[in-house]
Amino acid sequence: MKEFQERQDVLTQAPDALLAERAADGDVAAFETLTRRYGPLMRAYARRLTRSVDEADDVVQDALITAWTDMSKLREGTAVKAWLMRIVANRAVDAGRRRKSHGNVDDHPEAPDNMPTPEQLAVAGSQGAALNRALRGLPAEQRRCWVLKEFGGASYEEIGQTLGISAASVRGRLARARTTLVKEMEEWR
Amino acid sequence: MNPTESCGRSIEDLSDYLETGISTDFVHIENCPQCQARLAGLRSLGALAQDLLHDDIATASEAGWLDSVVANLRLETRAGRSIPLDGGALDTLTETEGAVIAMIRAVGDSLGGVLIGRCRLAGDVTVAGAPVEVNIDVSTQYGYRLPTVAQELRSAVLAELLVHSDLNVVAVNVAFTGVRAPLDGAVDEGEPQ
Repeated sequence: MKEFQERQDVLTQAPDALLAERAADGDVAAFETLTRRYGPLMRAYARRLTRSVDEADDVVQDALITAWTDMSKLREGTAVKAWLMRIVANRAVDAGRRRKSHGNVDDHPEAPDNMPTPEQLAVAGSQGAALNRALRGLPAEQRRCWVLKEFGGASYEEIGQTLGISAASVRGRLARARTTLVKEMEEWR
Repeated sequence: MNPTESCGRSIEDLSDYLETGISTDFVHIENCPQCQARLAGLRSLGALAQDLLHDDIATASEAGWLDSVVANLRLETRAGRSIPLDGGALDTLTETEGAVIAMIRAVGDSLGGVLIGRCRLAGDVTVAGAPVEVNIDVSTQYGYRLPTVAQELRSAVLAELLVHSDLNVVAVNVAFTGVRAPLDGAVDEGEPQ
């Protein structure tokens, strides 16, 4: 048990690149360490990109299995965090598309009341709560662009690829989202 | 001049300026009160977004959830070839190559100063009794004597495989692929020279 603990400590301190290399070579423990390191970030991201916490959890689980399978395709181990986030984004958008094409249950796939509630996201602080509310009020396409940019750190081109639109449309949607959000934040203040 | 009239600069341009710090229009932007006010708005929105992300991450970090994700992953992870175990004439027992490699890694990682990289079983492991070589890439921490480390690793791996597999291991080949600087605060039980 002590040995196991020490082993976990060694891996916990190991840099992303080493863990990615070992995971690509089939080391489950290294991949688990990456999962523990970035899982909460991936989950937070997925929750903002999907319409329910359950869907977000499915997206993260799927994304991790994809990552595990494709690990050897990752060229730069140092880029593993951005790579994981990109997989989550693509999975989340796919999940939305699947829901639309199969979803006869619900004609409003992006209905804001299906977004994670503030309680589920437990947003601390009233300004955070105000931003959360303002985000929920945005059209889905704008909200996605904003989350991909602000939470995922993606470029216009990457966001465009994920959403299947041009980089120019991304730039426009992002500007509209920001205009609305800044205005609502200022009104709130 | 009408003070509510827009100076004509778009939020797109101001966002790009905020992100890159570059604009052909920076003389105007830096001197226009309207642009400065909008930049301030964008800046505080950006800061608020990072706060929100931190709150979201804190909420998403339930230990129970991570454990269940990791447990599911274990079911999905590649198992490799099937290695026969001697279970007597009436039984077909096997263990997976993935499990054996994981065992070798665990042994290596628990030795002081050693981190296993690539690990492979060479030979037809699916045939009982066939000769098998274990090839291990190792990076060590600075300060360890490599022949000693190699010998310790070899005996530890052999001992483990003898107990937990029926592989006919004819060699454990250790290749040193790198030397790492000591980790901060890491305590080693081996004997740095």
